[in-house]
Amino acid sequence: MSEVHAAPRIESVTIHGLKLEVLRHGAGEKLVFLHGFQQPDPGARWIQLLGRRAEVIAPSMPGFGASERPKDYESTYDVLNTLTGFLETLPGKVTLVGSSFGGWMAAELAVRSCERIARLVLVDALGIKVSDRTTPDILDVFNTLPALVKAATWHDEAKAPDLDEQTDEQLMMRHRNWESLAMYGWKPFLHNPRLNYWLPRISVPTLVLWGAADGIVKPAYGRAYAARIPGAIFAEIPAAGHHPEIEQPDAFADHLLGFIAR
Amino acid sequence: MDAWWQCEIPYPYVDQKILDASPSVRAVLPNRLCDPRLAADLFEEVMDEFALCDDLGMNIICIEHHAGINSLIGSNPVVSGMLARQTKKVRLLSLGTLISLRADPVRIAEEYATCDVMMRGRFDIGFVKSGGTEFASANQNPVNNEERFWEAIDLVTKTLTTRDGPFSWEGKHFTHRHVNIWPGPYQDPHPRMWAATGDPRSAGEVGRRDFRHVLVLRGPEGTKAAYAAHRKARADAGMPKATTDNFAYAALVYVGDTEEEGIAGGEKLLWFLNTSLKSAPQFNRFLPGAAPPAAAPGLYRTKPKAQVGIDMKDAEKGVTTASQNAQKLMSLTAREAMQQGILFAGNPDSVYRQIMEFYDKVGGFGHLALIGRSGPMTHAESKKGIRLFSSEVLPRLREVKDIEVG
Repeated sequence: MSEVHAAPRIESVTIHGLKLEVLRHGAGEKLVFLHGFQQPDPGARWIQLLGRRAEVIAPSMPGFGASERPKDYESTYDVLNTLTGFLETLPGKVTLVGSSFGGWMAAELAVRSCERIARLVLVDALGIKVSDRTTPDILDVFNTLPALVKAATWHDEAKAPDLDEQTDEQLMMRHRNWESLAMYGWKPFLHNPRLNYWLPRISVPTLVLWGAADGIVKPAYGRAYAARIPGAIFAEIPAAGHHPEIEQPDAFADHLLGFIAR
Repeated sequence: MDAWWQCEIPYPYVDQKILDASPSVRAVLPNRLCDPRLAADLFEEVMDEFALCDDLGMNIICIEHHAGINSLIGSNPVVSGMLARQTKKVRLLSLGTLISLRADPVRIAEEYATCDVMMRGRFDIGFVKSGGTEFASANQNPVNNEERFWEAIDLVTKTLTTRDGPFSWEGKHFTHRHVNIWPGPYQDPHPRMWAATGDPRSAGEVGRRDFRHVLVLRGPEGTKAAYAAHRKARADAGMPKATTDNFAYAALVYVGDTEEEGIAGGEKLLWFLNTSLKSAPQFNRFLPGAAPPAAAPGLYRTKPKAQVGIDMKDAEKGVTTASQNAQKLMSLTAREAMQQGILFAGNPDSVYRQIMEFYDKVGGFGHLALIGRSGPMTHAESKKGIRLFSSEVLPRLREVKDIEVG
């Protein structure tokens, strides 16, 4: 049986002179999704599923997708200012969902202020230091063989995007995304050593959602994240790696929509 | 023309099976594979070879690489400092502390000024952009490395030339509020500066700064293009024409009594290319910022369509990146390396002829850097090569006078 879906709209929003590409889909409660290492694929099933009950608003962060990254714009300080400005363009409060790198950004925004955040969802989020100083929490994706990074990312590697099928433009974006990620997260590696200290400031209902087979950041890291946020719920999605939204879109959407409906 | 001898102090004792099984021979091999007693022997031999160069009047170069079989010189200032005292006559070029990887260029300037003072002005300073596995080893961001490189050079230069400090530096990559080194450099205003870089954009910057421009194993086309970019940038900036003194070329060089002996020595040097360059994809083609976005389709695709991207000329740079260059170099035979101007090897007449043929192809250069010992070459073979080059080839090269070019 084939379903007929409306395609997400791709819009452009200017924040402090910087043009952001923003994917929008569906209607209902506003759900802002901050992506991981790659901007969301507009054809992804999870966007369709969430869009039935919520309005999915997914900006490509500066330097990702078609969003600009101006000269000297090189730090999470810059990204967080842009995202703060972006949230201000949306009336009322939103459910803020952050995946991977975007989960780090979402947590940073929430510890600063929850004024515009109704709920927070962290999905396989990066951003904090948990283990001792000689035990890395986050797989060093830049200094590890690409094949091993891929194996750590997916429960089922067949769910990974087939790069041979991508257009030149998509691959150039992927390349630029990687560069932007390195710019923002090379050192300290994809985390803020001080974020753990501030997490208890988060004052909104929080769901920490994790792919049970994530090898980039393991579920124990997600549990530690949840333990630092007052009242946070932790849930694992079986048969999913770093991207439960891609590997298990139905379970992912059920968790999110269930959390919103609480 | 002048000549400069160098040895990276490679470590050729790791079992080939281990090297074959490892995706990279740099950055990732645990240092238990490097026996410090063998390393000590190598340092002793090569320091003696540098001292032999000093006796014979051939200048020397001290390089720096990190955490790999290709080189044990991870700390350039330490080795340069030793050479400062161990040599008496010749010039020493530090090529160089990897400045964009170090936290504080002021400290580098301090080390270099100390070397120059100890050597009473026999010291040259070379800048190398770094690349590949070095970013992992140094934990430095590769993406804006080039920008950090030039700012570090600016700060080193200002530190060396400021006589009425302290001064303050608040740049993009480096801040240091109280810069005032003691002693300053012996040479006034500062030691001669060199830079090793191949792409025309930074080659132009090397020209505008009037640095001596050294191309390493780039072959005639890449070298000629980089020299041309250097000259053009000077002309565009209204600067006087450069002489060949501004240009240098680094090749594998070995001289034997006979053609066969020379080429056999050259074959040993090829270890540098075929064994010590091996590096995993995350350190070259997927290294963030290393390849331009236009190259991405070729980097990521595994099927024939892939070639579309990788064959595209890098519009911005015009020549291949260092990692692409490395890929080409890894499979060369001695004859191919000689044909491509990567290796000058043979008897003294033949080596002189090969150097001058290359000289003519690239439009002239005033300095030859010899990568004279590598891989399994022995101490005795290395000393023989140094002696033969110094006595039989170098006097003829010295007859080649600097001329204005461009």
